[in-house]
Amino acid sequence: MPLFRFTFRAMAAEHELQLHATDEGHARRAADAAIADVLRIEAKYSRYRDDSVTTAINRAAGGAAIAIDAETAALLRYADRCHALSDGAFDITSGVLRRVWNFRAVPPRLPIPEAVEATRQLIGWPRVEWDERTVRLPDAGMEIDFGGIGKEYAADRAATLLAEHGIAHALVNLAGDVRALGTQPGGAPWRIGIVHPRATGGVIGEVEITDAAVATSGDYERYFEIDGRRYCHILDPRTGWPVEHWQSASVVAPLCIVAGSSATMAMLREDADAFLREQGLRFLLVDKKGRLVTA
Amino acid sequence: MAATEDRRGGSALLAAALALPGILPATAHAQTAPDQGVFAFRYFDYRDWQPEAERMTVRGPSLYVLAPLSDSLSFESSLVYDAMSGASPLYYNTLSGASGLGITDYRTAVDAKLTKYYDRFAIGVSAANSSERDYLSRALSMDVRTWTADKNRTFAFGVGAAKDSINPVNGSVEGKRRETYEYLFGVTQVLNAGAIVQSNLTYSDGRGYYDDPYKSFDRRPSTRRVWAWLTRYNQHVPRFDATLRFAYRYLHDSWSADSHLLEVEWAQPLPQQFTLTPTLRYITQDHAYFYHDPPLGSGFRIGQPYTADPRLSAFGGITASLRLARQLAGGWSADLAASIYRQRSSWRLGGDGSPGLLEFSARWVELGVQKTF
Amino acid sequence: MRRRDTLVLIALALACGGCASFDPPQPWEKGDLAKPDMQFDPDPLAAKAKQHIYQSKEGAGGGYGVGGGGCGCN
Repeated sequence: MPLFRFTFRAMAAEHELQLHATDEGHARRAADAAIADVLRIEAKYSRYRDDSVTTAINRAAGGAAIAIDAETAALLRYADRCHALSDGAFDITSGVLRRVWNFRAVPPRLPIPEAVEATRQLIGWPRVEWDERTVRLPDAGMEIDFGGIGKEYAADRAATLLAEHGIAHALVNLAGDVRALGTQPGGAPWRIGIVHPRATGGVIGEVEITDAAVATSGDYERYFEIDGRRYCHILDPRTGWPVEHWQSASVVAPLCIVAGSSATMAMLREDADAFLREQGLRFLLVDKKGRLVTA
Repeated sequence: MAATEDRRGGSALLAAALALPGILPATAHAQTAPDQGVFAFRYFDYRDWQPEAERMTVRGPSLYVLAPLSDSLSFESSLVYDAMSGASPLYYNTLSGASGLGITDYRTAVDAKLTKYYDRFAIGVSAANSSERDYLSRALSMDVRTWTADKNRTFAFGVGAAKDSINPVNGSVEGKRRETYEYLFGVTQVLNAGAIVQSNLTYSDGRGYYDDPYKSFDRRPSTRRVWAWLTRYNQHVPRFDATLRFAYRYLHDSWSADSHLLEVEWAQPLPQQFTLTPTLRYITQDHAYFYHDPPLGSGFRIGQPYTADPRLSAFGGITASLRLARQLAGGWSADLAASIYRQRSSWRLGGDGSPGLLEFSARWVELGVQKTF
Repeated sequence: MRRRDTLVLIALALACGGCASFDPPQPWEKGDLAKPDMQFDPDPLAAKAKQHIYQSKEGAGGGYGVGGGGCGCN
């Protein structure tokens, strides 16, 4: 069964669908449906879009409650579970720290501790008022963003749409968040390389997946270094400062949204390996010294 | 750690993730209301015959619609229109001059069903009406399905009642009635990611007029109780990307026309979105206790039930069918199917088929078109 | 009858799923099960037509469901 590749751009990154189908027309129809839904999710949840649900919620912070649909409510419920499971380390209101941590400034500069503390007052998922139908951010200046789960959710949705279009062997790769449908034709698992956190273009390890997802969170995606110390974009909302436990965390789970949020939570914990083992998830961690820890 | 151990990973978050609408493909086997409607049309052309005699033809269109009314309510309805013409069955191995009156009759059958879905069960109610010049049937039924939390096992319970009235065109009798009550208990079990089995036990209890008013010597009991045990099994075969389907039914009848039925199908997807499905079906039936071999009238006793209807004789029947279906763009699909059926006394399992009957054959062709919306 | 006993035994074996392994899947493993080919009655019109033919040409029918009424084919 021939392989068809479809690449597209969304969420400021390159993505690819690899799928096996008996003819190109079928592959194209399935890919179109999957890509359309990724774009739909981007439009709905991107904080950069003026007409997105996220922007509407953030604009109303400190004001009225915003009506939400079942999909948004389910994503909030999922974020709530992540918050509980990570003892508050995973918090979708922590995006405000972006205002004090600038990873693009040249030369890079550390923020003033007082600024970090002030911004931290605007973080607090438990304070968000939400239910199945509405959501309200209680204080002006608070923000939610789905950055930690939106792309992974889109990967799962893309896989589901491919399956609904009759595709049985596919790999969805949204800029490194991967979800596989079935096996490769013939039964072999999909082999996914894990990006080397320090050697550009290199691979530090490999995982084999069947009907599962793998997502990676790393300190190399956005960062700056000052005096030989790396400050990455994964910030712990409890301190307001970047984490330094691991160089990268890759997690395998049945759904990409679970793999992605588990990888983020792993980066935020010193005991990531024990945590992931307890969750029953396969993982590949690279520690501060570049050593592999796997299960 | 092997890939197979991924299955249960991350259970704390998985439950929350699974609550996301549409995170998994649409569920199989009807535990949530459909989110897409279906419209289907089918044209049917049936012909049967016996050696040296043309007999009956039935042709006609049928329509079906499935409409989701909300995310927990769905509506289904079908309409069947048949035009039947030809002679009524001959049941001798000698031809008589009066090879049967030509009948042309029309049958219109309509049914409608409403199904409401809850988290762990669904309730359906349906009504049906079928009418021909000499026959009217009205039926009501209700079914309840309930399933386990993992949706791998479903229990089904059904009850139905039908009231029929018979007014034969030859005026031999008038205003005859029949009532039938049906009960169903079924279990569907997902065995593994590629296999599912369903077993249904049904009991049908009927009383009223069963005679065939168009036959001279035909007196049947005024009650009929039928137990049917149907088991169906579908197995996905990854090597061919095909599906093997298997059905077995044992039927126990108070008229003693017990039967065993076996059916095997293989659905084979082909390139260009085609699927080819050959089917083989075999039925072996005992004769009703009041069935008598030809010549007509022999063994007839006043006050005792009697029939010479070959449908109640002991026979074996084999059907071979082939269906070619194609998935088209835009939610359309079409299929063409042809079947050939033969009944022979000598094909009864174990022999002892009813003697003196002509082989009966039938063929039917179907053309179907469907659109999801 | 011996023949009947054998057939009933076959029926029981089939009802137990034959030689399929019993390993009920997780929700995300049900991709194959959702395919139309794996449904029991994917085409209601085809099923109705088939059952109607056999009900009118054989002694008795049933087992598939309740409702639907009868026909005058006796």
